[in-house]
Amino acid sequence: MPVEIDRELMKGSISLLLLSLLSRGEMYGYEIFQEAARRSANAFEFKDGTLYPALHLLEKKGLVNAVWRTGDNGRERKYYSLTSSGKKAAREYERQWRYLTGAVKTVLESQ
Amino acid sequence: MHCADALIARIAASSGIPSRKRREEIARELRAHVEDFASSARLEGHGEGEIERMVLASFDHPARFAANFAWVYRRERAMVRLAIFGLGTVATAAAVSAVVFAMQAGAALGFGRAPAEVLASRHTAIEATDILATVAAYVGLLSLENFFQSRRLPKSMAVLVSISVVLACAFALAGERAIFLIFGCANAIFLRSLEEFLVSGKSRLVAATAYFGLFGAFFFAVLPRSSVSLSAWLVSWAIMGVGYHLMTLIGAFIGRELSGRLPQP
Repeated sequence: MPVEIDRELMKGSISLLLLSLLSRGEMYGYEIFQEAARRSANAFEFKDGTLYPALHLLEKKGLVNAVWRTGDNGRERKYYSLTSSGKKAAREYERQWRYLTGAVKTVLESQ
Repeated sequence: MHCADALIARIAASSGIPSRKRREEIARELRAHVEDFASSARLEGHGEGEIERMVLASFDHPARFAANFAWVYRRERAMVRLAIFGLGTVATAAAVSAVVFAMQAGAALGFGRAPAEVLASRHTAIEATDILATVAAYVGLLSLENFFQSRRLPKSMAVLVSISVVLACAFALAGERAIFLIFGCANAIFLRSLEEFLVSGKSRLVAATAYFGLFGAFFFAVLPRSSVSLSAWLVSWAIMGVGYHLMTLIGAFIGRELSGRLPQP
């Protein structure tokens, strides 16, 4: 049964999620939307307009590059790819995430 | 997909992003998303009516969507607001100074003194600083009101007073004259209150002229006596009152014209 993830909880992990997906190669918005759902067995479904503002924020921070170009399907789409700082940030966020979830897990299991 | 187009246009328009190019790009990106979403749904065998419902469901909180974009572009909006404040202040101060000095030059002639004698004095420099401080505080007050949803005027006044006190302390610590900041803040609060509580423009003009006339009388009594007669002194201050009333009209007009081009989140 799918679990409804609290917005605030989701907010903290969205940058890591996007950087992690983009570390596999450049993608446009809808591809990211689909990949996130597919890879998480539909646990992550970007609702409430979180995906595009989050992508724009990463672009503003210089962690991703965005270019409009025509894809293989003949449609013009805005493709996002990681910059070198984005690659570094992806590794760093992942390290922090593993540390945090490990610590939270320890606390939860100690109860 | 007209329903989605209208929703996307609403999201882009209410995102508060100052750049029209950026807003158009966001709308284009969201339209591309809807196009891909609909294509996938068609491949999965969904009907058009159902697809439309699914698209609308994916945009179920357009206001939150726009608010998320507004948060991402908050710095750009703040920069534009600051530019509006700067331009509004400079344009209004220039217009008010021109009117006040022209009227004072005319009054000087009426009192048998050469306009150059009045305009070249140190008093003119002080007056120009006071006008700039009052206009900056007044236009600042108008700008601050945009940041609050309820009890906008009292909250904006509280922020303005805090800013003025901090600036005045900084000026005083640096050994600079700070009274013009307090004077500007008090004038702005008084003139903005007049607009709030007096409906008639004539009443506001009379109140502003009387207020500055009283200020003039007070300063005439406490400041060291100059060669200027009481009547000339009071007329000069009354002219300031007329000038500041004019400022409320020009400042509000310029502020409206400039910020009308900025989309509100």
